[in-house]
Amino acid sequence: MSSSSSPMQSTGRKLKLKSKDDETFEVEEAVAVKSQIFKYMVEDGVSNGPIPLPNVNGKTLARVLQWCQKHADPTITEDELNKYDAGFIDVDQAVLYDLLMAANYLNIEELLKLACMRVADMIKGKSPDEIRRTFNIKNDFTPEEEEEVRKENAWALGP
Amino acid sequence: MEACMDFLDRLDPDILLKIFTYVDDPYDLVRVSSVSRSWRHFVIANGLWKQLCLRKFSQLSRVTHVVELNKCWAVGAAEVGSSHSKEWEYLERDDRAYALLARASTTFIDRDCISKAISASSTDNYPEESIYNTLHPTDNVLWRTSYWSSKGQSNPAVPETLVYKLADDFCVITEINLRPFQVYFHEGLPIYSAKSVRFRMGHPKSPTDSGNDLLGYSLPDSVDDKFIWTYTSQEFPMAQESHLQKFRLPEPVLCVGGILQIELLGRVQRCEIDGLYYICISFVQVLGRPLSPALGVEILEPCGKFVLKIKNDRPFELQAQSNHTVTGSVAEAS
Repeated sequence: MSSSSSPMQSTGRKLKLKSKDDETFEVEEAVAVKSQIFKYMVEDGVSNGPIPLPNVNGKTLARVLQWCQKHADPTITEDELNKYDAGFIDVDQAVLYDLLMAANYLNIEELLKLACMRVADMIKGKSPDEIRRTFNIKNDFTPEEEEEVRKENAWALGP
Repeated sequence: MEACMDFLDRLDPDILLKIFTYVDDPYDLVRVSSVSRSWRHFVIANGLWKQLCLRKFSQLSRVTHVVELNKCWAVGAAEVGSSHSKEWEYLERDDRAYALLARASTTFIDRDCISKAISASSTDNYPEESIYNTLHPTDNVLWRTSYWSSKGQSNPAVPETLVYKLADDFCVITEINLRPFQVYFHEGLPIYSAKSVRFRMGHPKSPTDSGNDLLGYSLPDSVDDKFIWTYTSQEFPMAQESHLQKFRLPEPVLCVGGILQIELLGRVQRCEIDGLYYICISFVQVLGRPLSPALGVEILEPCGKFVLKIKNDRPFELQAQSNHTVTGSVAEAS
């Protein structure tokens, strides 16, 4: 269990968040507003008391807040951020999907883009069979359908 | 627990669409459609091929709908659970059309696309120095110098235009090459290039006046009012040099209507004999990929929108024969 509040200057206010499995997090406003949802809440002044997030579990929320923290840091360089992102998103699929859904739900555009591009990268350059293996997908074409698809697409599927 | 996590089932449609917008290579999208029934269904239902093509060719935003001529093959075994409604038929047809367009524009090889020279905005010594001469790669044809010359102007800012008909009314254009003429029989060997060039593409104003009556006459004067331009390129600086200059479009462009105009902006060379500024071009080449016999268009005037037509969805055997080299792209399934 981790709280993402860090010993930064306590100039900003803090938001309290509660994950769906009842983990609570305290996070600086400046970090939280990476999420458009929290940004509007802060602007509308409705950020008193812990904000319930029924769609995000504690583990994922911790990760997301870590990312937000890094990206809210004014001292970090673009190069360092890119390196961080590359490492951050190099996770197994279950975690990746949780991140995707959390970023979508919390409306964190850059994180959503990062995660989507990661999934796209897992698809690119692979043969259909490799894609199936990567994502554990059953090939449910009938043999006739498969032959038809193969013929149609020989130009791209060829060796 | 080992989960079969086909993410098509797990993630929201809007997230999925976002993921697939990053799968931008036609080769990848083909493989995506070949993974499973539900993946293929997703590609068709969400118009992923159309989205891919629209990102590559913004000109496609003017497509009203797709029609299919001579439907010569049946859709493969009916997908279980798929709807046979009209809407699904349209989605499948769109899928075929745009997949075909992506494939053709990716795999066809560039070649010279000019079919005929239509007109020049002005011509000196017509017909000896007509635009027709720009179709010949060499400067000397039948013991005669071959180039187009504009009329002279005392104001060097006066532009000129050259209009050509392309080999097909639906092509992907990638590059335009121009060779300014160096007058080797005048002292100083002056080169009559332009300051810069710009390109437009479009279609004849009315189908009846399709420029057919103008074709091949290499008219001395402008017929600009007969055409509508739907694409205008950036301005490219031109060098005052007599070699073939290549103007590569930043992105390939779909020419809808088969008409291309070259705008020659600004004159740089004054003729010592009469003190006027001229532009002379000895050779013009337009490189691209005609999309026939696979696809065609029908332009709807006056709005300029057009219908995308699938003419032949197995055109690649024909194309393979007409290419000089085949980049291993038309391999039949073994």
